Amino acid sequence: MLHLIRWIALHMGRGTARSLLYPITLYFLLTAGKQRRASREFLNMALNRPATPWDVTKHIHTFASTILDRVFMMTDRYDCFDLKINNHELIAEVLNQNRGCILLGSHLGSFEVLRITAVLRRELPLKILMYPQHNEMLVRILSELNPTLSDNIIPLGQTDTLIRAQESAASGSIIGMLGDRVADSGKTVTCRFFDRPANFSQGPILLASLLKVPVFLFFGVYLGGNRYEIHIESFADQISLTRGSREQDIQYWTQRYAERLEHYARSAPYNWFNFYDYWDVQQTGVEIGSQNSVPG
Amino acid sequence: MDSISPSELEVATLIVETLNLEDISPEEIESQAPLFRDGLGLDSIDALELSLGIKQQYGIQLKADNENITEIFSSLASLTQFIQDNR
Repeated sequence: MLHLIRWIALHMGRGTARSLLYPITLYFLLTAGKQRRASREFLNMALNRPATPWDVTKHIHTFASTILDRVFMMTDRYDCFDLKINNHELIAEVLNQNRGCILLGSHLGSFEVLRITAVLRRELPLKILMYPQHNEMLVRILSELNPTLSDNIIPLGQTDTLIRAQESAASGSIIGMLGDRVADSGKTVTCRFFDRPANFSQGPILLASLLKVPVFLFFGVYLGGNRYEIHIESFADQISLTRGSREQDIQYWTQRYAERLEHYARSAPYNWFNFYDYWDVQQTGVEIGSQNSVPG
Repeated sequence: MDSISPSELEVATLIVETLNLEDISPEEIESQAPLFRDGLGLDSIDALELSLGIKQQYGIQLKADNENITEIFSSLASLTQFIQDNR
């Protein structure tokens, strides 16, 4: 799906490209049974009523729209978008003190929209943690579209990944990571999410406790058309894990993240881009959402 | 299993204490066995924690751009060698 959308985006305007999202969505609806079921099951819960085929269509179409928009965002076509940013000054304050911070996002809506925020407000020193093996095509496309962007990626899954993240934070960078996917081998913690147990990665909280930098939450919600609304929230000035209550501390902070994620997922259910059984505690694999960045 | 040298034992103790490893004692870490993944099963978080521990104890700052961190952290022997070369 990515390849096709990219070609369309590069060769047509956003309006024309968007009209082609309908057949793409339809094709996807017909062929991707597993994702369709995951979508319906999630929407049943989030909408508090049985999801209709129309709901599932809207869900897939929302996902396809944000993928298309990523291409425009990566090629610096920011004029296409109507953007509302809440609380951007929170991060500016920290950066003005030349301190780094962690920006903890998710696969709800678009994380890419952060790049626009970065450009509009000032040159934000941004490093995003992502899995190159889950994102091989994305990374290649990124480098083709805009060579400077791939410098902003710290590949996950290598021994020195978080040492690099630490060095970047120490020199005042924003470390972007997504907290809602579990890596194959990573440590997890079980949290309440939509009133059911789900596994979350301990990674973001462990990293925050080691970097000793402020943590902010980031949700880039797609509202339809060309509109995005970005929510930035203060999460913690500093996360400390106490030796005796380490597990409970990790649980506490991860649960707080899960609650904010649930809050925004309920208010924008069609933005939920984890198209697999999220509550299957055995499963760590990712399907179509794997084109997005996935931190451990 | 060959017994490890005194300097290796010192680094092994740092590893066990910094990472709060409960299932293994410093003497049990083998000189050539991999520390990460298949060996001791350490991960990137552990690598960061360990690098902060090394900085605190020996004043050595590991730089991801200058050094091959994967190689340094590949075994107790290579990590000990790196610390000896840089202290």
